[in-house]
Amino acid sequence: MPRRQLALLTGILSVSILASVMTVVWGNEPLLGLDLQGGVSVRLAATEPATEEMLDQAVSIIRDRVDGLGVAEPEISRTETGVMVSLPGVDDQERALSLVGTTAELRFRPVCGISNTARPEALAVGSWSGIHAACSEVESGAVVPAIGTNGYTDPEDDLIEDFVVLGLRGDASGQRYLLGPSVLTGEAIADANPLFIDYQWQVGLDLHKGSVGVDGFNDIAARCFAGDPTCPRVEGSPNGRLAIVLDGQVVTAPSIRAPEFQHDAILISGGFEKAEADDVSLALRYGALPVELEPENTRVVSATIGEDSLRAGVVAGLVGLLLVAVFIVGYYRILGLVALASLAISGALLWAIVAHLGTQSGLALTLAGVTGLIVAIGVSVDSNVVYFEHLKEDVRDGRTARSSVDRGFPIAFSTIVKADLASLIGAGLLWALTVGAVRGFALYLGLATILDLVATYFFMGPMVRLLAGTRWFAEHPERFGLPASGAVPARRSANAEVSA
Amino acid sequence: MKTLRALYRGESPIDFPALWRPAIVGSITIVVVGLLSFAILGLNLGLDFEGGTSYEVRAPDATVADTREFVADLGYPEARIQLVDDDIVLIRSDVQDPTRAVEIRDELIAGLGPVVAFEQVGPTWGEEVTDKAVTALIVFFVVVALYIAVRLEWKMALGALVAVAHDIVLSVGVYSVFRFEITPATVIAFLTIMGYSLYDTIVVYDKVREIVGRLGATERYTYPELMNLALNRVAMRSINTSVTSAIPVLSMLLVGSVVMGATTLREFAVALMVGIVVGSYSSLFLAASLVSALKEREERWRLIGDKVRGRLDGDGADDSTTHTRTIERSDVVAADTRAAPRRAPGGGPAKRRPAMTAPSGGGVPPRPRKKKR
Repeated sequence: MPRRQLALLTGILSVSILASVMTVVWGNEPLLGLDLQGGVSVRLAATEPATEEMLDQAVSIIRDRVDGLGVAEPEISRTETGVMVSLPGVDDQERALSLVGTTAELRFRPVCGISNTARPEALAVGSWSGIHAACSEVESGAVVPAIGTNGYTDPEDDLIEDFVVLGLRGDASGQRYLLGPSVLTGEAIADANPLFIDYQWQVGLDLHKGSVGVDGFNDIAARCFAGDPTCPRVEGSPNGRLAIVLDGQVVTAPSIRAPEFQHDAILISGGFEKAEADDVSLALRYGALPVELEPENTRVVSATIGEDSLRAGVVAGLVGLLLVAVFIVGYYRILGLVALASLAISGALLWAIVAHLGTQSGLALTLAGVTGLIVAIGVSVDSNVVYFEHLKEDVRDGRTARSSVDRGFPIAFSTIVKADLASLIGAGLLWALTVGAVRGFALYLGLATILDLVATYFFMGPMVRLLAGTRWFAEHPERFGLPASGAVPARRSANAEVSA
Repeated sequence: MKTLRALYRGESPIDFPALWRPAIVGSITIVVVGLLSFAILGLNLGLDFEGGTSYEVRAPDATVADTREFVADLGYPEARIQLVDDDIVLIRSDVQDPTRAVEIRDELIAGLGPVVAFEQVGPTWGEEVTDKAVTALIVFFVVVALYIAVRLEWKMALGALVAVAHDIVLSVGVYSVFRFEITPATVIAFLTIMGYSLYDTIVVYDKVREIVGRLGATERYTYPELMNLALNRVAMRSINTSVTSAIPVLSMLLVGSVVMGATTLREFAVALMVGIVVGSYSSLFLAASLVSALKEREERWRLIGDKVRGRLDGDGADDSTTHTRTIERSDVVAADTRAAPRRAPGGGPAKRRPAMTAPSGGGVPPRPRKKKR
């Protein structure tokens, strides 16, 4: 009854073809790991015990920094003791390393001017005056802020004593702030919390006492309140504004509405949503990175080395596959072709899944993964070998080829399931209990094992049964690598004494 | 070659029980050597486990001596220098301070050539990874033992664990004796070997179970004899699978690492080659012999053994304790027919039996061919 076999075959073939076509249509491609395309990976450890919240904050700060690098798939995650940053394919490795490692400082800078224009030439020194107020030294041309090609001050020029041009955090409108030298740093801040006062979310700021604290703050506050040239009134505001800058981005730039503040009674109101208030207070509280992170493990792989490894892996895989094909077809003939087709099906499905995971979930294929897949070739072929050898035994035991096919598959499949389940248990445990490369290996081992079972059950079994139904199969068992069917050979006893 | 041809024809040319003793002696010797080497020499732990810094510098003109001098001038005379490729020099030092590591890198770029790969590892990283791997390993052993005990039987679980442990000790021993460097890739290779060895052992055990299920009921053969038949019948599969598994790995070793110079692949491939060969060997020789020895002590098999030996002695055969009779194919077929329930004569429309899903008790007759034409 070939209907069931035909249904299974049609099913698995359609699924494989559909998966391959969708992979191409969606443009899914496997995401290559650091070791295959080059890049930077840094594992940072907190120098002192850190809470999850602090590490999460560190992760989001690092992600903000890294976004500027144009890395396609940055992977930044919290580990038990720190942060893991992986930047495959990053061009500027030097900068990536310095960005990730440094503990940026929170700075208070007076706002000298605000420009809404995105045109760099409009940022020429003179243009700040007239339209907007500008701090005296810039206005007079005595000091020129360093401006990079993108119209902002580059991170390496963002120095504490210089005038800088920076953007607002989380703002894509291209608004630029011309800021004066830093007057106070994050060290001044004791605490910051979101508060719900007067029916709106505000951020309450608590400063330390002393000169590096509330006194320093009041010094600049008085100037801003009065609209002193070092902290002028901008855009028609009655008072000057003081920007709080983190990592080259303005977190918030409140107007100073009083000449003097109590150290624990500073309120920043800006029509915040709750989330914004949370965000701003987190940034203020932790200054920059909430914990000090030290690189514990740094890995830099140049793009050429990565490509070499990838090419070597791919060529080795293809050559290996070709040789396996020659061997298996030479040994099992037409059954060997079935085995190869079965391998092709699990390969197509595996490719689709790996590409999907790479594109959708950012799961990278590493060298360990590639080698895992190469090894999987051998194990996948084994499922076929187990069945075919079983067929041969049954035929020698006197069964017809067709009855061997029917009887043998459930037995062989049961063996394969037993053995594959052990592999799956191993893969699952490794996935759950380990980290890093070992985990990637476990994933691909598990995937390949499952697909091996799928291809065996849905393709190889039905295909062999279908072939067994043909007259060709009954007449030419040798073309299927099977011994001539039927009776027990008579010359058996002659070999009884042969030993290894 | 002759043996191989006989195996191919489905005969039973190998007397496995006779080979078990030398195999066990050999294995124990090698394991002891491996353990000794491990205890005395230890392992050549890579960067990830010891901490330190490595640089790969593209410097086509630099010799090892040049580089050593250059690095010594920087203050690291004991750094290890190695020519990886024609144009790449690998420099390993024990520098663990990140800032200093970066400074050295800049010096290398200025003095030797572009640094194509740079790795700096703190001392705690390897410990953490090792701890996790060891935990995973122990849990793995326990769970897999339970699994085999449930799916097959506990004696086989024991045999499989011994075989897997043997393979791991041997692979680690090879790394220790030949001073190969242990890297995270090596750890993965060991895990692959473990998985492969286990997989192979289960396939062999399942065959043993099938054969014992078919012929055990006749009570005419001892357990080692049945085991011998099963091993001979599964040997061709083991060889073929080893070959198809080894070919890609060999290709990785030759094409990938020797021809194309991907060094990461080389370490991996060497470990895997050892693992595949040893994995197949241990299934047929160690895992099988242990189960055979355990089963022979069982009441049922002891009685059968006594009976068989008694009959042989009666026949005037020579000392039979070491001799394993080869079970003929005709006997297997006969046992199948005997064990089969009575069928309607002429293979007529007998009642259809449900297809077997697993090798259970007795043999199953060939399914009657359906009349169709």
